[in-house]
Amino acid sequence: MLNILIVGNGQCGNRILDAINKEAFGGKSKFAKFYSQQKYKSKVETIAINTAINDLKELSFTKAKDRIHIPHLHGVGANRTLGKSVFEDNKSHIMRNIEERGNFDVGFVITSASGGTGSSFTPPLIKEIKEKHDFPVYAVVVLPFREEGTLYLQNAAFCLKEIRDSGVDGIILADNQFLKQIGGNVQSAYNTINDMIARRILFLLDALDSEMMMVTDLGDFKTVMSGGAGLATIGFYEAEKGMNIKTTIQKALSPNGLLFSTDVYKEGSRAMVIIKGDKSYLSIDEISSEVEKLSSSVGHVFKGIIVRKGEAPQVLVVLTLEAAEELENLYSVAVDAIHQEREKKTRIEEQKEIDKAFSKIDGLEPNY
Amino acid sequence: MVQFKNICLLMLTLALVSLVFTGNACAKDRFNESIQEGDGYQINTIVIDVAEVFVSADSCVFIVYDEGNEIENKMISSDQTITFTAEGETIEVTLLSVSEGILPQATVSITITHDDDDVYLKQEVKGGHEKATYPGTPSLEITKEVSSYTVDQGEVVTIKVTARNKGDGKATEVRFSDPKPTGFILQEILLEETGQMTIDKYETRTIFLYKLQANEAGTFEFQPTRASYSNEADMDFPEAVSNIPVITVTDTGKNARKVAELEFSTSIESSSVKRNDEVEVVINIKNQGDSSANGVVLNIHLPEEVEYKGSNSNIEIINGMPKAYLETFGLNQEKEIKFVIKPTELGTYTITTDYSYQYEDGVSPDRQEVTGEFTTSTIDVARGDLDSVIEQPWYVIAIPLLIIVAIAGWIFHRSRQYRF
Repeated sequence: MLNILIVGNGQCGNRILDAINKEAFGGKSKFAKFYSQQKYKSKVETIAINTAINDLKELSFTKAKDRIHIPHLHGVGANRTLGKSVFEDNKSHIMRNIEERGNFDVGFVITSASGGTGSSFTPPLIKEIKEKHDFPVYAVVVLPFREEGTLYLQNAAFCLKEIRDSGVDGIILADNQFLKQIGGNVQSAYNTINDMIARRILFLLDALDSEMMMVTDLGDFKTVMSGGAGLATIGFYEAEKGMNIKTTIQKALSPNGLLFSTDVYKEGSRAMVIIKGDKSYLSIDEISSEVEKLSSSVGHVFKGIIVRKGEAPQVLVVLTLEAAEELENLYSVAVDAIHQEREKKTRIEEQKEIDKAFSKIDGLEPNY
Repeated sequence: MVQFKNICLLMLTLALVSLVFTGNACAKDRFNESIQEGDGYQINTIVIDVAEVFVSADSCVFIVYDEGNEIENKMISSDQTITFTAEGETIEVTLLSVSEGILPQATVSITITHDDDDVYLKQEVKGGHEKATYPGTPSLEITKEVSSYTVDQGEVVTIKVTARNKGDGKATEVRFSDPKPTGFILQEILLEETGQMTIDKYETRTIFLYKLQANEAGTFEFQPTRASYSNEADMDFPEAVSNIPVITVTDTGKNARKVAELEFSTSIESSSVKRNDEVEVVINIKNQGDSSANGVVLNIHLPEEVEYKGSNSNIEIINGMPKAYLETFGLNQEKEIKFVIKPTELGTYTITTDYSYQYEDGVSPDRQEVTGEFTTSTIDVARGDLDSVIEQPWYVIAIPLLIIVAIAGWIFHRSRQYRF
């Protein structure tokens, strides 16, 4: 049994973590925690960290003892510099809380790249964990909607870079901009995205600790994640009624199944395909032909099959990327955002000149 | 022999001492005062004026007034005494000495021998008797009037009690008592001055005004209305007593024997109830006779399977039995007695009540007593809503309860785990 640590940083990370905990109860009902037990295959410890206490209070499926409030007014207000300072002040408290939970075989840190607490806490937190422990740590990073504003875009750019530099063992990308195709209002879109990410991570955890017909384990996952440019994404699809396994694999690799916009066959570096379902659906020929097709483009593909009686086929693909055109686009937009912010600051400085002009008549009275 | 003498001497001494104390029924008040010429000394309504002082002659002229009327005028020398009687008391005035001053003055000793604490005022009066004031003597006269001295049985008479202060002082701390006559029923009180009051001199005030219904034939002598009172100097006066009206009530029934005939009826809120349901039972009582009943007692006999739950009427539980008691029950009077019961077992029940009361028939010298009993209609008690549950074996109730408690405990535990 694996010992797995999952940390959710900031509001986005907290909510995805809560969605994972909810999904682990196996039910959609908000009362599932009262009548069900979490069905983690491994020994999973979850920790939600936030500076905004209200965000922590919103969580429903994460135990109170697993919620760490870092008191700093009501958040850091998307200011990463402030956020990093707050983390430094509370680092020992956070690390002590992690260490009290024992040793781990693998860790995941989930965060939004654009926000305040999550984007500023995650890089130094991963760095701290990596310095003190030898288990692999993977970051699950959610990229912002491009129209969310210049502050969020520049935060995302710097956050992603700092996470890469923190010694992380791999970054799994999920892009809100790409996932907004699922439609609905903002709240339901966020909830759906959180549920999508949660379901994929839970599937992955389940697969890493399951007895399989064809085995993929944590070692395989590490190998896959070490390939490419250190960036990865996850594709997933659950077959509809009558859908064969071949189509299901193709759907998992299509934009509808992926968390990040990429051309799998052009930008993929290594992959792990995990297939779960009743054996009646699992045609070896179909599986082999699709896996071969993928491996001919990306190089090496690890393949795992979990037989679950009566279940419809589900496919999860972990894909590391050599290149990410969409990420380059994001950084282009982020650079524009940084310039915009700089110009704005300059304008504010000019405003201060105007203030100086006004201050010249301080203490004088008009004469008539 | 010597011892016998000593004992006799001791007994004689004790007898004399006891005579001194027991024989001193009258008290004495003694005042020593220095009074200037022209001033006086007042004891109640008596003023002793020091009219003239002759220092050279060591003598003094005293003039004594009772409410302004001169009753004594005498000149005496030092150590001489004037003795006179006023208000039934003996007053002695002894001139002790005279002396010079802006005005000459006399030092006198005044002794009053009296039976009780009758001295309610004693003071020096500057200016003598002409400046003295008197508290006055109130005198209450109470008149008790009736609207008619001859009435038929059942007729109503009005009683009016007035008080007049015909004295020359205000009556204070006045309290009236007015006992009601037998043979009459109080119908209505129109006026009733109660509590302590004052009545100014020459004031006339109506104290009581009420109506009585003649209940029995005969000649009835009313008890008088009485009043106790004092004057402004807190001197108590003899109780004032009203006249005693006598009313003759004629028998309209031509001396027929009268009877108090109480009619009892019962009603039950519901004749068919479930076990452990509460049911209200009403006993209606009506006096259909021509005499009032006294000492009406109801003993309510409840079956063992029926519990008494309470009442808004005057029902008391005595030795486990609900009982109602009514002091009097007038002509044509009606009353409802309500109480609530709870049948605890299945079955059909009735409630029996035995009663007793007394009345005067106007002929016999003794009171007549009536006893009897009455019974309610039947109450059918069926199975209650929870009977089927209660009749189950204990574990049929206990196991679901335990499960509910366990679930509640689990939900509480989980809520605590997830509450932040």
